[in-house]
Amino acid sequence: MLKRLALVGLILSSIVICPSHGQKATEIFIPIGKSPGVSGKYSVIGTIASFDETTRVLTIKVEDAEHTVTITEETKIWLDKSGIQQTNEIGSPADCRQGRLCEMKYVYDGKTRTDKAEWLKIRVGDSD
Amino acid sequence: MQLPTRGYILLLSLLLAACPLPKPTPVPGSELVIEGRRLFFEQIFNGNGRTCGTCHPASNNLTIDPAFIATLPDDNPLFVANTTSELGPNFENNTLIRKVGLILENQDGFDDLDNNLNMRGVPHTLGLTLSVDSPEGPQLGWSGDGSPGDASVRSFATGAVIQHFTKSLNRVPDVDFRLPTDEELDALEAFQLALGRQEELELPLSFTNVIAARGQEIFNSPTEGKCFACHFNAGANGAPQVFGPEAGNRNFNTGVEDLPDQPADLLEERNPPDDGRGTPGEGEFNTPSLVEAADTGPFFHNNSVETVEGAVAFYNGNAFNDSPAGQLLVNATGSGINLDATQVVAVAAFMRAINALENVRQSIEMLQAKVDNTILPHEDFDQLLDRAVDEIEDAISVLAGGGLYPQAVDHILEARHLTLEASKRSRPAKLAGRAITELERARDLIVESP
Repeated sequence: MLKRLALVGLILSSIVICPSHGQKATEIFIPIGKSPGVSGKYSVIGTIASFDETTRVLTIKVEDAEHTVTITEETKIWLDKSGIQQTNEIGSPADCRQGRLCEMKYVYDGKTRTDKAEWLKIRVGDSD
Repeated sequence: MQLPTRGYILLLSLLLAACPLPKPTPVPGSELVIEGRRLFFEQIFNGNGRTCGTCHPASNNLTIDPAFIATLPDDNPLFVANTTSELGPNFENNTLIRKVGLILENQDGFDDLDNNLNMRGVPHTLGLTLSVDSPEGPQLGWSGDGSPGDASVRSFATGAVIQHFTKSLNRVPDVDFRLPTDEELDALEAFQLALGRQEELELPLSFTNVIAARGQEIFNSPTEGKCFACHFNAGANGAPQVFGPEAGNRNFNTGVEDLPDQPADLLEERNPPDDGRGTPGEGEFNTPSLVEAADTGPFFHNNSVETVEGAVAFYNGNAFNDSPAGQLLVNATGSGINLDATQVVAVAAFMRAINALENVRQSIEMLQAKVDNTILPHEDFDQLLDRAVDEIEDAISVLAGGGLYPQAVDHILEARHLTLEASKRSRPAKLAGRAITELERARDLIVESP
């Protein structure tokens, strides 16, 4: 009986194993650079250098370095309007405009960083 | 004229009684936990007046239920949505808070506040060191995905402030609330991890009551209750022999959402279906520990079952046995869970007994701190005796509610009396010590020492 239950366990394990993804719901309201345990560790903060709408590759400039990442259909994009004391909103790839400050969190496969973005926060202000 | 010896002794005793007790001894390295406790119960993060303790009060096992909520005044911050026009029914549902103990969560997003919401009970925060780790990372909240950022216990407060502390539905940082600092998150984490059990039970225990003992057998049986598979040692983690050595805390679709006649639905309040973990979800909800269950009802993510007997009986029903988790169990073991009434009561008796033992443990810990005049960093020293009474009363309620261990209950009642008397004294150590003795006697009547 225990062997059969162990089989149940293996099946259930295969179903439930997925990357831990936290509660993205409140993440939308966390300003760039303030994501607890993520900012400065699993994310990149810089300015948007370019976004290729065809390949969906985003290039972020951080000081003298550039980081590229793919914005997938699953990537959450949020507009950080906290600097102008307005409610943060859901954004889109169209908001990936050159020069805008952004923070991008990579998708991790276990402990391995992929080239996909889990989420992208883009700072927008009154002038945008 | 010289006083007789007895007179000197009496005079000395009176002088000692009049002298204040020395300050309690702090435990080295406990400052972070103490600061975390202060933040947890006092810091409103520039929000609507709520603290973490609003929904996780120490006196009610760090959770809320309709009975506790009924004792709160109308101006308690729990009801802030009633008095703040910027919040209103898309922040909380006053009827569901008061009648079912449910709070509003937007775990699937904030883009459609009228419809994108779920009503959930408040999980306690006891024993987190034993109940959140998994191979997939920390599992927090009712759907295991309750924490933003790195999904850790440490980060949980950030999400909680955003969801529950905001002054308006705009949720603008530094306008509607402020985010906890790194130092505050460190302290809150330290405090929360210090709460409740720090060690798992090692079953089987030698219960002296035959019903609780039988309930433990059924609980641990792979052919009868099968409960151990997901609640190893009556905790929150999967059994290693089922899920492997790193089983950890897991999420399952057990069909709770398919229960008919859920209280929130019977009240005809807005209560959208809850799809659990992820967006969109697949109906999976997190596995809680069962040691703390009997005095932290109602049960399941939607508070749909009031009693521990009802919670056990759920696993007999169609909702569970037809669920994905239930069907896997059927396919693997040849049958679902099918307990008769006496067996349901037996398993519930086991759960009542282990909960009472935990209440006894906690109350002894608090009383001992008073005897030794030392600080328990996760408890307010000045409230220790009141808190001990809370735990003692829980033990009484849990055992008497199941008709269990009447002799032990007598000793626990005496412990309660002694603790209340101790709380009136400036030097409570002696009475606190006697209360401990009564609790130890009660414990020895519940379970034999190994």
